Amino acid sequence: MLAHLVFWRLEWKRAYLKFPQVFAGAIALLFLAIAVALFASRALYGGAAVGRVAVGVVLPEDDLLAKRMASMVSSLDSVKSICDFQYVDRQEGLEKLKGGELYAVMDMPEGLIEGIMDGSNPPVRVLLPAGAGAESQIFRELTEAGAQILSAAQAGIYGGGQLYRSLSREGEIPQMEEELNAIFLSYSLPREDYFRHQQVGATGDVEVSVFYGISAYVLFLLMLAVPASGYLLPFPLNMRQKLNLAGIGGASRTVGKLSGLASLFFTLTLLTAGLMGALIWAVEGERPAWEAWGRPEGFLGLLLVCLAAASFVVFLYRAAGTLMGGVMALFLTVTVQHFLAGGFLPEVFLPLSLRVLAPAMPSKVLMDGVKMALAGAWDMAVAGKLGLLTLAGFLLTSLWERWER
Amino acid sequence: MEMQHQVRLEVRSLFKAYRRHQILEDVTFSAASGQCVGIVGSNGCGKTTLLSILAGAVRADKGSIRYHGREAIGAPRVFDQEVAYVPQENPLMGELSVKDNLSLWYRGGRKRMEEDLKNGPAALLGIDKMLKKTVATLSGGMKKRLSIACALSNHASVLILDEPGAALDLEGKAEVRGYVEGYIRSGGTVVLASHEMEELALCTQMYVLKGGKLYPIEAGAPEEKLREAFQM
Repeated sequence: MLAHLVFWRLEWKRAYLKFPQVFAGAIALLFLAIAVALFASRALYGGAAVGRVAVGVVLPEDDLLAKRMASMVSSLDSVKSICDFQYVDRQEGLEKLKGGELYAVMDMPEGLIEGIMDGSNPPVRVLLPAGAGAESQIFRELTEAGAQILSAAQAGIYGGGQLYRSLSREGEIPQMEEELNAIFLSYSLPREDYFRHQQVGATGDVEVSVFYGISAYVLFLLMLAVPASGYLLPFPLNMRQKLNLAGIGGASRTVGKLSGLASLFFTLTLLTAGLMGALIWAVEGERPAWEAWGRPEGFLGLLLVCLAAASFVVFLYRAAGTLMGGVMALFLTVTVQHFLAGGFLPEVFLPLSLRVLAPAMPSKVLMDGVKMALAGAWDMAVAGKLGLLTLAGFLLTSLWERWER
Repeated sequence: MEMQHQVRLEVRSLFKAYRRHQILEDVTFSAASGQCVGIVGSNGCGKTTLLSILAGAVRADKGSIRYHGREAIGAPRVFDQEVAYVPQENPLMGELSVKDNLSLWYRGGRKRMEEDLKNGPAALLGIDKMLKKTVATLSGGMKKRLSIACALSNHASVLILDEPGAALDLEGKAEVRGYVEGYIRSGGTVVLASHEMEELALCTQMYVLKGGKLYPIEAGAPEEKLREAFQM
């Protein structure tokens, strides 16, 4: 046992001797990772997509009722939060639509309100530009939803009216309409409430910036292995043979390398997080949320993440066998599996056939682990997956060592 | 009978093949204390495989290896206790200090290491003067001396050296040769694979390894005789 302990101590020492190179690499990678995260975040949600939806409304001349209806619709909170209404004439609306100033034009027909009242329902024409973008699609969804709500309400009221007439209770129709309107309103009001408070995002239960922060950290962690490549290379054959003779076999060698790298990852994570936090504090004057890491669950979660990441990287280098092979294997494997894990583009944007692969990708397991550590709340399923990833890397590396004996 | 007690190493009918390629075929020889066995042969003839098998690093397909009368095949402890093996490439961790490298092979036996640095093989090899140096900064000769010191951490009486002078400058070769000479003189047994005439001059027995078989040749034979033996 003493021989193993001496060997592990020396492996840790070798790992920490690489610290200056790895730290310098970490700083460079950090800037790269931030740039990638910002770029991806902007590409996905930035630019035009965050703009408001400008909608032109064409009203029939002198139709006061239609004008009142349009202003009522535009004052609804759910509509107001997304759309800006402009009153235009038809020609002006079409020109602005072509020029890209408007994302949609609502052309109100003559006698719209009267039509609704008598059931003839003249349709509101919604004009969208050719090759409509996300804003136009959103507006189309909004108008379709509005039309369906109106149709349902209308069908309810007409159905009720018909029933009351067949029962010769025409006098009660106005009261029935009033009550039905109240019911429909009670359904629509919580819907507005829902739109106001509930955020729906492609990044799941975390904000876009947090999601890409986590994704960038995982990428950063895995790529940190590049400056530590010298340490990760397997020992030459004669050294392995000598170590085997001394009783230090493949499993013990893997434990040494894995724990050394994990410890290096952990130290660098704390250090770079500290630096980043200090930077944010200095620039924005906002104290970073570090409390979670101070909790045992957060600390342990982060440790498990570093161990699992190290295990994955150690196996890649062992399988590649050479410096160049290791670096190439790391770049290729990390990039591909990080993409499949939804690290570059959230999972929901991936084709269905690829989405099923995501849970099996190391990056996905690591990202879930970082989420757990940040939340400071222990999740057995996530911890189990991290443990499994560590074990898989350890076993595969040990077996490879044995196989090459 | 008395002669048998002096025999440190006995190799009998050793066979080794890699896939269909027979590397060693019925290799038999023995060596007593104070003897040096030289193995010569062209590149790739199986010298390193033979030495690796003698050191326990590679398994033989068939045959017997005895150290001090103890069968070593199937008993890793015998190899660990009886043999000091120095491969051609130094098995050292370049980033670490000389002391760290020594501590690895002494496996935590700090007291024994310190004694050896005062009076043992490590002292004879001059390791005590370079303990704090980083291995990567050492000369080839110093690295080889350190490799020998690491190998002899078990105080083995059989030293196996695979081309010890390869890639060393003249000074390095002389340093290593000087130590091996002293080791033999003090009663140690050496098995040596080499192409260097100066190193082979230390041998009391010599063999040419060709086609997997060992052919004895006269120890201290001149270079021309060796060449003839190669072409047999």
